Amino acid sequence: MEYFLQNFPQQLVNGLETGSLYALIALGYTLIYGILEMLNFAHGDVFMVGGFLAAGVTAVLVHGGVSFVPGVFLVLLMMAFAMGGTGLLGVGIERVAYRPLRNANRLAPLITAIGVSLFLESLVQVFVSPAPVGLPTNAFIPQAALRFGNVETPLTGVLLFVVSVALMVGLDLFVFRTRFGSAMRATAQDREAATFMGIDVDRVIMVTFFAASALAGMGGVLYGLRFATVNFFMGYLLGIKAFTAAVIGGIGNLRGAMLGGLLLGVLESLAGGFISTEFQDAFAFLALIVVLLIRPQGLFGQPLGDRA
Amino acid sequence: MTEPESILQIRGLSCRFGGLMAVEKLDLEIGKGQIVSLVGPNGAGKTTVFNLVSGILKPTAGSIELLGRELVGEPSHRITRLGVARTFQNIRVFPQLTVRENILLGTHHWTRSGMLGSVTFWPSARRAERAAGAEVERAIELFRERLGPRLDDPAFSLSYANRRRTEIARALAARPKLLLLDEPAAGMNPYERVEMAGLIRSMRDQGLTIFLIEHHMPLVMEISDRVIVMDHGIKIAEGLPKEVHSNPKVVEAYLGRRAARA
Amino acid sequence: MSTSPAVIEEEPTKGQRLWQAGPAAWNEAITRPAVMIPFFALAAVTPLALQYLEDNSSWIGAQFWTTILANCAMYACLAISLNLVVGYAGLLNLGFIAFFGIGSYAYALVASDQLHQHYPLWAALLVVVLVTLAFALLVGVPALRLRGDYLAIVTLGFGLIMRDLILDLDRPPVLAGHQFGPSDLNLTGGTNGIHQVDPLKLPTSLPLLGNVAHFLMYYWIFLALLAIFVFCMLRWRHTRTGRAWVAIREDELAARAMGVNTFKYRLLAFTVSAVMAGIVGMIDAAFIFNAFPGNFDVQQTVMVFIMVILGGLGSIPGAMLGAIAFTVPPFLLQQFVFIKYLIISLVLIAVMVFRPEGLLGTVSIRPRRTMGGTLELFSEEAASEASLRTGGNAADLESTTGAIVPESDPEPSI
Repeated sequence: MEYFLQNFPQQLVNGLETGSLYALIALGYTLIYGILEMLNFAHGDVFMVGGFLAAGVTAVLVHGGVSFVPGVFLVLLMMAFAMGGTGLLGVGIERVAYRPLRNANRLAPLITAIGVSLFLESLVQVFVSPAPVGLPTNAFIPQAALRFGNVETPLTGVLLFVVSVALMVGLDLFVFRTRFGSAMRATAQDREAATFMGIDVDRVIMVTFFAASALAGMGGVLYGLRFATVNFFMGYLLGIKAFTAAVIGGIGNLRGAMLGGLLLGVLESLAGGFISTEFQDAFAFLALIVVLLIRPQGLFGQPLGDRA
Repeated sequence: MTEPESILQIRGLSCRFGGLMAVEKLDLEIGKGQIVSLVGPNGAGKTTVFNLVSGILKPTAGSIELLGRELVGEPSHRITRLGVARTFQNIRVFPQLTVRENILLGTHHWTRSGMLGSVTFWPSARRAERAAGAEVERAIELFRERLGPRLDDPAFSLSYANRRRTEIARALAARPKLLLLDEPAAGMNPYERVEMAGLIRSMRDQGLTIFLIEHHMPLVMEISDRVIVMDHGIKIAEGLPKEVHSNPKVVEAYLGRRAARA
Repeated sequence: MSTSPAVIEEEPTKGQRLWQAGPAAWNEAITRPAVMIPFFALAAVTPLALQYLEDNSSWIGAQFWTTILANCAMYACLAISLNLVVGYAGLLNLGFIAFFGIGSYAYALVASDQLHQHYPLWAALLVVVLVTLAFALLVGVPALRLRGDYLAIVTLGFGLIMRDLILDLDRPPVLAGHQFGPSDLNLTGGTNGIHQVDPLKLPTSLPLLGNVAHFLMYYWIFLALLAIFVFCMLRWRHTRTGRAWVAIREDELAARAMGVNTFKYRLLAFTVSAVMAGIVGMIDAAFIFNAFPGNFDVQQTVMVFIMVILGGLGSIPGAMLGAIAFTVPPFLLQQFVFIKYLIISLVLIAVMVFRPEGLLGTVSIRPRRTMGGTLELFSEEAASEASLRTGGNAADLESTTGAIVPESDPEPSI
């Protein structure tokens, strides 16, 4: 028990950090699911591309442990570049791979999505690097750690949490308080009726993909900054965990995705810290199965029809 | 006159979707060997009643009994096994299956031929397949001229009327006690409608009980033993065709209050 | 009445040329015994013919080609199994290859020095079937109650977890500080896999042929397995089970209304497909004397998927064609192997966008308009979803559960 109480705060903080990452990506999943009723398997790989774009920026602007540009500016540049790049990537993927199958059998775009996922992974693996790529974060980020009592977290961890929460709040405001946001919500509820209301559904879908992918891209940057490394396979596992988070919160529900992400991060961290680090990933999967069996609509979703 | 044995008994049936009562406290009884029609303006809840009986929807209250056996709560495939077969308003044949295979599917619930049996050519499996094949021949008796030459054509290549016939044959192949026909004459021209009326009578003569939803009033008047009228989820009239026809409430439901007063 | 001119009928499709008749007819034509038996006979004899034609020592020798053919036959078996679960039952099993891996490791554990067990052939086969079946039920029973896209993600997660499990079980698991098992417990060999797996205990020499080379023997085993799989699939397709599967795939609601227990048949398709993959895994482990964690890679699932998609979902000869298309060229174009997955993923995307039915597919993937609207609308889920959304109008409700086709005569004649 002593052990538990001593380590709980640290695990909690770790969990909130990874949880905010899951939440960022889960938001993207849920946004796309809400509007197209499709699970975009390639979403995790968009996150991965974001990380590599950020790494690319550092590769250009940091040499020999010295950054040519002030740290803050470099970080902002990485974020802008990654978000913009992944946003465009998302829009491109939707236009090329998903739009032709928009009205087809429900499972068709899913098959295409795994193709896109494999394509992105192979692209990076072949043309960038099959091995993990490091980011020279000590060249432009203070390596100090923040301490509260016996809880410690690096600056980049705090950055991850803060930026994620800021983006989530921003997205929430955008979707629920702006005119375009209500167009998005309308399209998510009834695509055909939205067109009758004069909403340009194609544009809404495009913006949704841009936003969802940009969020994932930002997640990639924050991940790269926090862990100082990216690899071509990192999107795959994280994608599944983020999907789990989205389901826990209730797929299609934005606030649910945010909460689900944080919750999953914390639960996973606790399980990993106190039960087993090796099988930590399995806990996420277990959580998914349990939620789908007991309450498939998640915490905030509407009850799904019975499928007996 | 003795009451015919009751096949279907619906008591207090209600079905609610969110804030809407699609069906409200419905009481209904169908006797064996009868042809009963369910009519009413669009949105009255008729197809919902069918969906409730065949187990596709679950009611929020009430009971549905088939020969004394409670159907509420049973999954649709078990309700079929208990003796209820149906057709759908917008014809749901299986497009990629041939006419023959569609009808064979009707026999699914009463033939026993499993995966192992079909792979090993087990005698019981072969017998089951033969029995199913024989049933197809029986089921298309009433449609011999139309469907006979097209038995091996895929269902998607059929005309509307032939698809309708295939669907009915498929339902017949399920050897039901109660047949639910949802707008069997929809989309048909007068000649086809006459054919359909004769068809329904023949099926009744072969021992089936028929519960049907139909919009074409002359057809309903001609073949029904009883007519039940619904509007906005409630039964507003019931009785012999002639009685219902002149019932002011029925006229009002269809044409509005002024026509009823006129 | 039957000759009245007002009755408009369509022409029956009899008498059409075969090439006009569409994929269903092509599939039927190709899978007739008259075609299949000579095909398999020819395939069996090909390596022997190659032996006389090619010099065994050169790079393009009979051994090289026979190994390619053996791989081809193996992937054809996998493609047919995947076709069963995706093409016939319509279930997106994205963790499919995990069952192949489970089969290979299950066999390796009972036929190698890893656990010092060396089971005879039939016992090993039984173990493989039971273990694969157990995992299939473990995943299938909860997951098959879910909607298609959820099932996809759950099976994807399953594949990932299995891979991690295999990689981590070279040491005893430690949970909450407790170690389960002795410290030298090494079940799966971790990243190295299991080595020195016994080949199947079969005679190595046949009458008339004398000693049969290892690769040739396994080519024939895979070919025989393929023949068995194809035979079973055809028998099922033409009997009650296959009809139920196609019905579920085409229109689940109507299938249920006709008395088909959709859950049971879905589960059957899922588990049978998994067990088939497991058996293929077993033979593979015996063939290459190893069981590798790479057997669980998701890229392999995607590869089998592209074979099935290109060949055409729902088509048995299509699956075989797809397997040939994606095993032979990579072997021949060795210099491109490092961008293999890049090309494969691009081809998959291209096929799905431009011709999702593939070559011989019978599953309609493209948007389909029936007499009254897309079939999608008429599922009960859509109806209850729609009702929750519209929440009000009775007319809307009736329109989503029923009448999209306008009635012919709405007003009663009074």
